[in-house]
Amino acid sequence: MNKYLLDHTLKIRVPIILFVILVTFIVTFYASRAERDGIGYTPDQPIQFSHQLHAGQMEIDCQYCHTGVAKGRQALVPSVNICMNCHTIARKDKPEIIKLTKYYEDGTPIPWKRIHQVPEYAYFNHSVHINRGVECISCHGDIARMEKVGQVKGFTMTACLDCHRNPHENLPYLEKVNQGPENCFACHR
Amino acid sequence: MSNSEKNKNFWKSLRDYHDDPEVLKLKANEFTDGVTDDFDPSELSGLSRRKFLALLTASAAFTATACTDYRDKGEIIPYNKRPAELLPGTPNYYSSTCTGCSSHCGIIIKTREGRPIKIEGNPDHPINRGKICSKGQASILDLYDPDRISYPLFRRSKISWDKVDSEISGILKKAVETGKEVALLTNSVFSPTQAKLFRELKTAFSAVEFYKVDAINNLTKKDAWQACYDQMPLPGFKIENAQLIVSFDSDFLGSEGAFIENSAAYASARDVKTNGSLSRHYAIESGMTMTGMNADYRLKMRPEAMTEFLAALVNEVIRKTDVSDEFFGVSFKGADIASIAGKYNLDKIKVEYLLSDLIKYSGKGLVIGGDHLAKDDHILINLLNELLGNQAQYDFSKSYASESFSDVRSLEKLEEGINSGKITAVIHYDVNPVYTLPPAYKYHELLKKVDDVITLTTSENESSALSNYILPINHQFESWGDYYARNGVYSLQQPVIMPIFNSRQREGILLSWIQGKFRFEAYHEYLITNFEESIYTKSGSTLSGKNYWYASLHDGVVSLPDDQITLKRFNIAVLPSEVISTASGISLVLKPGFNVYDGRFANNGWLQEIPHPVSKVAWDNYAAVSPKFASENGLKNNDVIELISDEFSIKIPVLEQPGNDDNTITVELGYGRQVCGEVGKEVGKNAFILVGKNSDKRKYVRSGVKIQKTGDTLALASTQEHHSLDDDSVKDIHLIRNIIREGTLEEYKKDKHFLHHEKHEIFSITAEQEYSGLKWGMTIDLNKCTGCTACITSCNIENNIPVVGKDQVLRGREMHWMRIDRYYSGTPDEPVISNQPMLCQHCDNAPCENVCPVNATNHSPDGLNQMAYNRCVGTRYCSNNCPFKVRRFNFYNFRDHFADAYYHDDLFSLLNNPEVTVRSRGVMEKCTFCIQRIMDARSEAIKDNRTLKGTDVKTACQTACPSEAIYFGDLNDKQSDVAKHVEHDLAYHVLDYLNVRPNVTYIAKLRNTHSEEA
Repeated sequence: MNKYLLDHTLKIRVPIILFVILVTFIVTFYASRAERDGIGYTPDQPIQFSHQLHAGQMEIDCQYCHTGVAKGRQALVPSVNICMNCHTIARKDKPEIIKLTKYYEDGTPIPWKRIHQVPEYAYFNHSVHINRGVECISCHGDIARMEKVGQVKGFTMTACLDCHRNPHENLPYLEKVNQGPENCFACHR
Repeated sequence: MSNSEKNKNFWKSLRDYHDDPEVLKLKANEFTDGVTDDFDPSELSGLSRRKFLALLTASAAFTATACTDYRDKGEIIPYNKRPAELLPGTPNYYSSTCTGCSSHCGIIIKTREGRPIKIEGNPDHPINRGKICSKGQASILDLYDPDRISYPLFRRSKISWDKVDSEISGILKKAVETGKEVALLTNSVFSPTQAKLFRELKTAFSAVEFYKVDAINNLTKKDAWQACYDQMPLPGFKIENAQLIVSFDSDFLGSEGAFIENSAAYASARDVKTNGSLSRHYAIESGMTMTGMNADYRLKMRPEAMTEFLAALVNEVIRKTDVSDEFFGVSFKGADIASIAGKYNLDKIKVEYLLSDLIKYSGKGLVIGGDHLAKDDHILINLLNELLGNQAQYDFSKSYASESFSDVRSLEKLEEGINSGKITAVIHYDVNPVYTLPPAYKYHELLKKVDDVITLTTSENESSALSNYILPINHQFESWGDYYARNGVYSLQQPVIMPIFNSRQREGILLSWIQGKFRFEAYHEYLITNFEESIYTKSGSTLSGKNYWYASLHDGVVSLPDDQITLKRFNIAVLPSEVISTASGISLVLKPGFNVYDGRFANNGWLQEIPHPVSKVAWDNYAAVSPKFASENGLKNNDVIELISDEFSIKIPVLEQPGNDDNTITVELGYGRQVCGEVGKEVGKNAFILVGKNSDKRKYVRSGVKIQKTGDTLALASTQEHHSLDDDSVKDIHLIRNIIREGTLEEYKKDKHFLHHEKHEIFSITAEQEYSGLKWGMTIDLNKCTGCTACITSCNIENNIPVVGKDQVLRGREMHWMRIDRYYSGTPDEPVISNQPMLCQHCDNAPCENVCPVNATNHSPDGLNQMAYNRCVGTRYCSNNCPFKVRRFNFYNFRDHFADAYYHDDLFSLLNNPEVTVRSRGVMEKCTFCIQRIMDARSEAIKDNRTLKGTDVKTACQTACPSEAIYFGDLNDKQSDVAKHVEHDLAYHVLDYLNVRPNVTYIAKLRNTHSEEA
């Protein structure tokens, strides 16, 4: 009796349980991958700002607001005073602009939700990419068509290296492009 | 290899010299005993390994399967209204003036997002020319010190500023009405605006009198100059022009005067790789100092004997040369060079060399005296320079700043005033007299007799502990100011951050008493007004007053037409009549602390942890005695002795210092603070107790000192036996490992290639990696390096290096990426010292890379040995396999491990360089050649659409080095300095026969000694 139960357990039950666990794991691993990498993350923002309107229809240059992108490490989310360059006059009566004006007048910064994040042990520099002619679209997707901005590409080391190794494939619009550096110190210090 | 090298036995300490078995053991093991066995895993965690693994697996499964929602990534909070000059992620630089000591060096403060993170020298400043010492750089740590007082206190309880203002104004008014006196104790005032403020304070409240309490001064030097020439100020020196320097107990490269400027000038005359010539330096010293360490010849002599030795030299010079008529007949009785050499056991050959060189280099030499010498000594030094025509090396355009406010009374008057009851209140104006005044004044007793004691200070100190009012003042980086740094050099100070605590600028506090109410901008406006009145009008500028102010503030320094000073006639009447010393027994020399100065930097962990340049001891002061003295008195290292001078005594551990005079004990001041922050409290022993009064002949020298063994010991944390580079088997056979390679100037002149005669071909069994593009490399000129440690501090700040504390330094766990190795050669009595900055050599064939099991350390295409922290699992194989022992392991998260997690404070995190990872426990780290600076330069180059050049990058150590001994650049650019140095005859690599191919090249040190045949 005892022997039979042990046999049953070892020969049938354990393999089945293991198989089930393995399959669930593999399925969920791949199914949840996008979430883990943050692809598709589209959080609600404190102000419903539309890139589609500003960058798409009105064709405002990205650098009008993201002033740091060609100058340094950070692209910079615009400070409220940049919004107010136009919105002291434009669309003053709209509810979102009233919200914006209130932030400006109170002197409180707007707590925008972060969408794209490079891990803190990696030192990404916007300016080196922009000044080499890499388009924003190559990493951030077609922002100009997004009503609400979300993440479309992975920000993992694999994603970085993919482009650094095959720049011609990934950045077809650049005629002259070198391979990106692949050494550790390029990003980690 | 040269003959002189073959005979040289390098030893790192006395125990090393005598083949102490412990030292041999240390050399065999990189880490001292107890380093690897004090971890008990069961104590670290309550979890068993099995349980932990189970939990880990379970949590991993949960994480992987939990596909409920996206991870929240937090927020990005931009400015509401971004200041135009501030771009987040990009540093801003502001020029200012360092007020750490009285040199008033110009500094550039680097700020990121409005917080200061690094100090560098201002290249336009005529004193320090872009360089800055350890203390100046590390003072940034004091800004963020959580031990600073955050609000005003009255009798230890919080009080509002308004109340303080009205109460103190009341005290002042009452003193005026009752005809009493309020004593304001200050350090020397070099700021013209502050001097004006003092005068206005005196006008507003006639009861205020000023007293000067500088703990470290050079009164005897000034008095001697005044006596000899009847003029002030003291001249500076053209050290760079002097072909012969003779220093008498002067540490002009270490802790005296503007030593950053001196080091630069000294090094420029020792740049043998460019000039092919060297100055010659004799140091006559009582204790081993940084200056003596760099000298070509060194004579040991007790401090009291300097007078007769100088007098004997004067006698000889007068006898052997044609002196001008006015000096004819000058002769000092009894000062005979031969008998003095016998009396003090001096090397007769060296004395002869010294005398002949003094005469040979007449007009091209320079004699310098130390601050602690007697007035008579300085008079004789002035006379010697006068006789030899060395006045040519006096530089009045560099003359030391004369004080802007000298309307002060003597300390004897203070004593008298308090005792008579005339003084009713005392104001400590950013000074700590309870700690620094010699106990002979009994100052703490005196304080009990006054009604009110008001202390203006940044953090609690011995004086604030005895005060009823404690007023927090701004740190130097939160303050406005101006200083006459030199004759014709006016230096401006500007704040770079709003006051972190509820403190006020010290000048602003006085101004509020005068004006009746406080305004934040009041002193700023007061400064501008004074600037426009006194400086702008003098400048003759065509700019408007306002524009000129902003232009000057931007530059940080204004050059004014300097006062033309011509040297007056030497007054022969002041020459001392009695020169023969009767000193016997033991002498004690008290020196300003190399790292902590007069104790003001005691709470600064970075400075406390910098090993002393000579002894390599950190976190302590000690009684340095010669090995002979130690053996005669039965003393060993770490034995605590009682030093007794008259009725005062301190208990202090002994350190055997090779090269010390056999009758002299040397102790550094500034340690043993009783009331201080967490870091500096009771670190070392307070030697101010033994300092004499200002009126004493030699304030910092005590004669006839007695010692007594206490039987106790106190372990000194010395870094000298850690990271041992040389193998013990080397010592007794001629096979030297060529870590230090040296020669003499004569040898070099005879045969430029003398260093490399025994070079053999080294081949590799694998193909060598080709470096086609940029290849980073560094060269270090050992002729120029003085061992001042400015590079170490600069590296610490740039690279977020933690303070580990004495306990960890004792275990050999200091985290400095850069160290300065100090090797002795010769005998313990007459040691010769060689310094060598040692950092990661970024070897082409790096041994560390091969052994890393996870490939966390590997090579970059531009020749850097890279370290990826997030990949490191902490096996420490790399450190084990590194022949240079430059890798550092985080045994703890040292920020929360230091006493009560002191450095874990949020305030300190503001100080971190955001471009460098803050490493955590279990990770290996090492020098990166400042990769963040390389990447920064690269991004600038890309921005400007040009290729990155080697000269675009300057490493942190390079920018700090006062003597410009460090060069960095592209080895493949054959026109660059570094590439040329690598090809130089004097260039060598440490341990090159291991074929690791280091990218740090050293330029061998040459000594300008007389060749044996000559």
